[in-house]
Amino acid sequence: MNGLKVDELSVRYIGRSERALDEISLDVTAGHIVALAGRTGSGKSTLCLASSGLVPRVVRAAVTGSILLGSADCEVEATKANAADLGGRVGIVFSTPSLQLSASKPTVREELAFGLENLGIARAEMDGRIDAAMSRLGVEHLADREPLALSGGEQQRVAIAAIVVMGTGVVVLDEPTAQLDPQGTSEITELLSEMAADGRAVLVSEHAADVLGAAGSCLVLDKGRVVARGLPGEVLARSEANSAGIDPPTVVTLAIAAGVTASAAFNERAIAAGLAAKPVRDVREPSPGTRIEETSHWEPILVRATTPVSIEVKGLSHTYAGGVEALRGVDLAISPGEAVAIIGQNGSGKTTLVKHLNGLLRPTAGQIVIDGRDTASRLVSDLARTVGFVFQDPDDQLFHSRVDREVAFGPRNMGFDSAHISTVVESALKLTRLTDQRATNPYDLDLSTRKLVALAGVLATESPVLVLDEPTMGQDGPGRHSIESIIRAWRSTGRTVIAISHDMEFVARNFDRIVVMRQGQIVLDGPPSMVFAPTNVTVLESTGLRPPPAARIAALMGLSVVSFDAADLINASLAISASRQ
Amino acid sequence: MSARPVGYYRPGDSWLHVRHPLSKLVALVWFTVVSFVLPPVALPVLGILVLVAAISTDLLAPLIRSLRVPAVLFASILIVNAFFFPGSFERIISIGPVGLSWEGILFGVITAARIFVVFVASILFLFTTLPDDLLEGLVDKGASHRLAFVVLSAIQLVPRLQNRAAAIQDAQQARGLRVQGSMATRIRALIPLTGPIVLGSLIDTRERTLALEARAFGSRRDRTAYRIVRDPSIDRWIRLLIVLSLAGILVAAFLGLLAG
Repeated sequence: MNGLKVDELSVRYIGRSERALDEISLDVTAGHIVALAGRTGSGKSTLCLASSGLVPRVVRAAVTGSILLGSADCEVEATKANAADLGGRVGIVFSTPSLQLSASKPTVREELAFGLENLGIARAEMDGRIDAAMSRLGVEHLADREPLALSGGEQQRVAIAAIVVMGTGVVVLDEPTAQLDPQGTSEITELLSEMAADGRAVLVSEHAADVLGAAGSCLVLDKGRVVARGLPGEVLARSEANSAGIDPPTVVTLAIAAGVTASAAFNERAIAAGLAAKPVRDVREPSPGTRIEETSHWEPILVRATTPVSIEVKGLSHTYAGGVEALRGVDLAISPGEAVAIIGQNGSGKTTLVKHLNGLLRPTAGQIVIDGRDTASRLVSDLARTVGFVFQDPDDQLFHSRVDREVAFGPRNMGFDSAHISTVVESALKLTRLTDQRATNPYDLDLSTRKLVALAGVLATESPVLVLDEPTMGQDGPGRHSIESIIRAWRSTGRTVIAISHDMEFVARNFDRIVVMRQGQIVLDGPPSMVFAPTNVTVLESTGLRPPPAARIAALMGLSVVSFDAADLINASLAISASRQ
Repeated sequence: MSARPVGYYRPGDSWLHVRHPLSKLVALVWFTVVSFVLPPVALPVLGILVLVAAISTDLLAPLIRSLRVPAVLFASILIVNAFFFPGSFERIISIGPVGLSWEGILFGVITAARIFVVFVASILFLFTTLPDDLLEGLVDKGASHRLAFVVLSAIQLVPRLQNRAAAIQDAQQARGLRVQGSMATRIRALIPLTGPIVLGSLIDTRERTLALEARAFGSRRDRTAYRIVRDPSIDRWIRLLIVLSLAGILVAAFLGLLAG
């Protein structure tokens, strides 16, 4: 019987006084998915590492309790087993797709063979096992492709196949969709269910509601302890989950309002039917205490006055050196102080477009006019004063040994005087809630906090335009709230915010204009209510997107108004049931 | 097996492609040693040998194309040796302390020809040998598979690091860093540009190590190999022949039989 049984597991990393995990027990049986929810640093990753036998074998730690990994023939105690015992019983996949691969194999087929080679499987057996694993996980068509040249979603599927091919009965995934686009996320979600149906035991830690919803049971972790467990549709709405920093997913809130049972809480049709059929229960509550208060720490007196800036993109085309036509005649005018989100699947030209705004890319044809001046002859370092750009991966820029020095790097480049530098650094640290971490080495912080450090570094340049590339990717609930309040604070000073995002709820809530791109062109441009209207669903699908869940359910209900969050849709349903009486 | 060119490798199934990588490696060593040990009269023969191999494997055109860049190198070897050839010979031209003599030109031509032979033999080796086959072949003959893994992943990571470096340059320029201009500006830009590469690679290493462990890389079981590198018995004879002839030439050279 494939399965994972964790009993009273405690883990304390060497050199730490507090436990990373505190007496955790859980049971994942064959054919089931168990999900782990919780903030960054709640112990999810440690539990994943321990379950796969990497703690304490590879990552040193003091461990008590037991982890039993069952397979057809015998059980293994993961905390004491060696690599050969574990290989083929349990496997783990992490969030960065390219790092999951061996990076030493020229084809996907050989990548899958890597684990079999290490286990000493006879050559004659290999092809059969590889073919079986590839067809089970739907990666046959990738067999002869180069692993590192695949898309992120494809790489994650190959990484999972490379675990499954080893005959692994227990598959552990630590935030497998954190770096994927919506299409990649839904592919992985389906894969989890297929693996369970195939008789494997699956343990997955996640922030994404869709992935949590695929699980049969869900544990909420906070400070190394399990604070709640049960059906995801029920447990994620509990107050314990809320105080552990988890926002109830929109669908779960709506399911409760619609009176749908917890086991159907992720079934959008059931929710729509429930909301339409009977008067709904009003479950809108004031936000719980963990929600970060929405005050702005950006004290206008401390910030030099800024003149709002307009942006005009005229007939922009860009062809990369290899001949790829990334942009084909884009026209876009952004008024001073506007908040614009750019969405579309990977490769639709979003990043290419925004890289023209600060001169990192130059037009093949067309023109970019910022603040009335053509950017053609201006240096990137000069345009950086006007357009601040926060990249997706903070590790592409952090290099100082202290957070505050890192934040001061931009202002120093701009030639601010030292009194002004310390003012803007203080403000940026306050706004990103990093004041307490000012002396920390950025690389001692986790990825989501490092993203905030990179953001603070750009805020400190006081540029009138802020461009964010995937700001919420990899962020947990509280991290997302921080970013939302920063965007509001930034806009309140008349500045422009432009963001690229795959997060439809974030986009609908924080931006008054959404630009949808497909194959290098703008296919939709308007307020969220227009872009996410039911009539545009096919256009969105053509670029790998879906409206946010509340809008999808509203569409299923046949409502003419478009909702973006649970409260909106509940209001609309209440109004309908009121009018019916 | 995939048919995509990897680095220098040109996919094919010629008589040279199908030789065991170790046979080709031994042959390459033979060419390198022999072109320096044998008297210069042998150089045209060695060159013709490589060219015949290239023609018979249909690789002459890419081989000639690959000579464009090192052509400058051969020319400079010739010129430098010709001008700076030590000793007092009758000079054809004199430029201050250096001068051109017939002896110097001859020496320059010979040196350039030796390096040329080694170069074309190496290129032909790279054209016909997939790095994966070479390392798997060496592991099969007793080399450490861990070492082979390190070499292979290093080869594959080069393009990744190049992309990373470009991304870092973008990110730092976007924070107002000047990367062009005076020498001082460029030196100041060095740490912001190289720091993230080093630190980011360290972070990646942790996740990569864990992911490899999950694939039983640390298993002490006897490893098997998926990639089969054929080693027909003719290859063993070829290697024996090459090694014996190399030993013979070296002994002859040691005894001074090849002088003159």
